[in-house]
Amino acid sequence: MNENNVVGTHLQEVRRGTIVLAALQLLRHAGYGYGLLEALAQRGFATDANTLYPLLRRLEKQGYLTSEWNTEEPRPRKFYQTSADGIRLAETLTKEWLALSEAIASLTAAPFTPENH
Amino acid sequence: MVTTLTERYIAATVGNIPPASRDDVQAELEVSIADAIEARTTQGEPHETAEKAVLTGLGDPVALAAGYSDRPLHLIGPRYYLLWWRLLKLLWAIVPAVAMGGVALSGALDGTSAGGIIGSSIAAGITAALQVAFWVTLVLAILERTTGVGALPAWSVERLPEIRTKGAGRADMISSVIFLVLGVGALLWDRFRGFVVHEGDAISLLSPNLWPWWISGLIVLMAAQAAVVIAVHVVGRWNETFAMINTVIALAFATPAMALLATGELFNSEFVALILTNNGVDANSLRNLAIVTGAGLIGFPVWSIIDGWFKTVRDIRHRKSGIIN
Repeated sequence: MNENNVVGTHLQEVRRGTIVLAALQLLRHAGYGYGLLEALAQRGFATDANTLYPLLRRLEKQGYLTSEWNTEEPRPRKFYQTSADGIRLAETLTKEWLALSEAIASLTAAPFTPENH
Repeated sequence: MVTTLTERYIAATVGNIPPASRDDVQAELEVSIADAIEARTTQGEPHETAEKAVLTGLGDPVALAAGYSDRPLHLIGPRYYLLWWRLLKLLWAIVPAVAMGGVALSGALDGTSAGGIIGSSIAAGITAALQVAFWVTLVLAILERTTGVGALPAWSVERLPEIRTKGAGRADMISSVIFLVLGVGALLWDRFRGFVVHEGDAISLLSPNLWPWWISGLIVLMAAQAAVVIAVHVVGRWNETFAMINTVIALAFATPAMALLATGELFNSEFVALILTNNGVDANSLRNLAIVTGAGLIGFPVWSIIDGWFKTVRDIRHRKSGIIN
């Protein structure tokens, strides 16, 4: 395993979980699979299709998303929308993320040294 | 009809998904792939390369199907791996040795040549090791796929193994079991093949009248002894129960053996006549030989009893000092 691979693995570890949060937030307005993939990429959450599609079904099964087939358009699509439970989960996750972000900021602002301990 | 790559990809995916959600996944995947291809072709990419790029991006359809149906992509995950490995080591320590002993024994009784016995018991050992590996893996792979989270009791410090004491290790167990298996083999060999062959007749050392009941009882005792040795290894230490059972087994061996020796029923009189009396051993020497044999028949069980209790006392002391420290 070369150095790039190791860095890549660490980055992946940090990003893991952010996809769930981003998807729950974006799907407050109903959206479909490929459209959500594009929206995530535009907002800086590059996601693999083979990760996102099964994830949407899992979140639906857990009750955080609801789904509905829209057959009015020429290409019928399955639309997902964040449920009330999903919104609560998104709020919890966002709070956690902000707390972590603050904690990380404090690390660089006041580095832990024997002197200031 | 020529099928497109997309159709083949979708078929390969939904074929690995539970039927209940198959149609829904298929319809959604079709439109998702079509959307992705369209996004590329509107940028001027030819349909063919766009399709290939999109499907390549989705990856192995079986992996995608596993994602859809929450199936693990490993045979045995971290939840069961340690159980799998412990079971495998324990059974590998016991089963192949027993299989090899059994095959060697039956080969010896059939009159197979030494080379044939070695060959067939090695083959039996390898087969047994493979069988153990296969069945343990199969059972745990099924558990991995059928049980929910939390099927195993959580680990706690109480489950920390005792430091294995001397006399409870793997080598002790294996050597004791092999010794007992050889002992049973010697008994059967003596009865059916004979260590001494005189004018074409096998003459057994032990009295043939001991068959079948006395010898069966002896084999049962030896099996019980093997069970104690294995149990000590599994627990990792001697304790009062083991020492007590060990004592009972030793006494159950020594008492009848002494009684049979005293009444002259232990050894085959034909054997005694042929080997000893005919070679000029007089009655006085025979009596001395009987006394030496009797001392052995008492000494061995007494040693076993003392050894068991000695290790028990040592292990209890060890445990108490361990708690104080």
